[in-house]
Amino acid sequence: MKRREPLSESYFYILLCLARGDNHGYGIMQMTEKLSGGEVTIGSGTMYGATDNMMKKGWIREILSGGPGQDRRRLYHLTDEGCEALQAEIARLRRMLNNAEEE
Amino acid sequence: MSKETKRTFTFYSAWDYEREEKDLDRASEQGWQLLKAGLFSSKFVKNPDLRYRYQLDYREIEDKARYLETFREQGWEYVDSTFNGWHYFRKVYDPDLPEEAYRIFTDEESLREMNGRWIRLALGMGAVIGAFLLAYLVWMILRPKLPTLFFLLSFLLLSVMLVRGALVMKRSETRRARSHEGAIFLTFIAAILLCLITGTVLAALRPSMNSDMQAGSVDRPIVDERWNEFSAPYTDFYYLDLEFEAPVPMTFRVLDKQGGVVYSASGVSFCEKGIRLRLPRGTYEFSMDVSSGYRLDLKIR
Repeated sequence: MKRREPLSESYFYILLCLARGDNHGYGIMQMTEKLSGGEVTIGSGTMYGATDNMMKKGWIREILSGGPGQDRRRLYHLTDEGCEALQAEIARLRRMLNNAEEE
Repeated sequence: MSKETKRTFTFYSAWDYEREEKDLDRASEQGWQLLKAGLFSSKFVKNPDLRYRYQLDYREIEDKARYLETFREQGWEYVDSTFNGWHYFRKVYDPDLPEEAYRIFTDEESLREMNGRWIRLALGMGAVIGAFLLAYLVWMILRPKLPTLFFLLSFLLLSVMLVRGALVMKRSETRRARSHEGAIFLTFIAAILLCLITGTVLAALRPSMNSDMQAGSVDRPIVDERWNEFSAPYTDFYYLDLEFEAPVPMTFRVLDKQGGVVYSASGVSFCEKGIRLRLPRGTYEFSMDVSSGYRLDLKIR
């Protein structure tokens, strides 16, 4: 398997949030802030660019929730490829952490 | 009730987009709220009760609904877009919110991506202009004439600007961008126009090559069959008006220094205006193969 490029913090948190279930942009933003203790924020420009790129890579997919009459919301769904990318990043981070803690 | 509006005419280059954001924030503080954004002019409406913070994004939008929703859900109101892809957003100012709440790009990667988009475009534009100027320079070298110096100066000026633009963009790529694509673009166009106008004017003012020769009505002896000399002060196209009549068929020739025939015309009578000759700088001679009894009229422009 070819080596993956490290993910940016924004990409990582977007994937991580979606691993916990489908969500919309605002939900991802809030969850990211909560998880990171306010360290990481994802602005709209960053969010649009990241989701755009990840959809092109096939890591996430857009689904429109709710039927007619209901409040239609745009949700993002993590694909298997996206899940793989997240797992690979977690493994990379763990390796780095292990290396740093050795000795 | 009609609202008070105003139009401003300002032009921001791409690398000045942050300055534009600040200017919009300041205008909003003074009660002028952006209504329509344009490349060269913006329209504002007076509303002193509101105060907004502005942000600009530059991109080609594939899915506008998703794009606007992504901004709306974080409290950004879409204001307008310019035709060339700059999008204006604003958020009502709340002094309790932290500064980062008014930033649409919250990491270096996405900001660099955004800047990269217009930088690529600006560099592409610069490359096209550079190629144009280079072609122009080659052309000037091949056909040197008086305006060359001025063209060369304009060329230098443009090159300096191109380099400056490239440096500014390079800098904005590494640090936070603080810059404009438009000024480069506009100045380029202005410079090219200036270059062309100067060239045309100077070409028109160039010392005119107008020699008028009339020769040999009756029995004028011609030594060595050569009659007159003409020196081309610079490489250019010259136009000949030639008319002759002779009792027997004759040939008129334009010869270069090495004796090579640049042009020739023969017959008993000949009349042609505007014969175009491309003559490199140098001295030329005219020759006729009859020695007397002819009439020849020659004008060179």
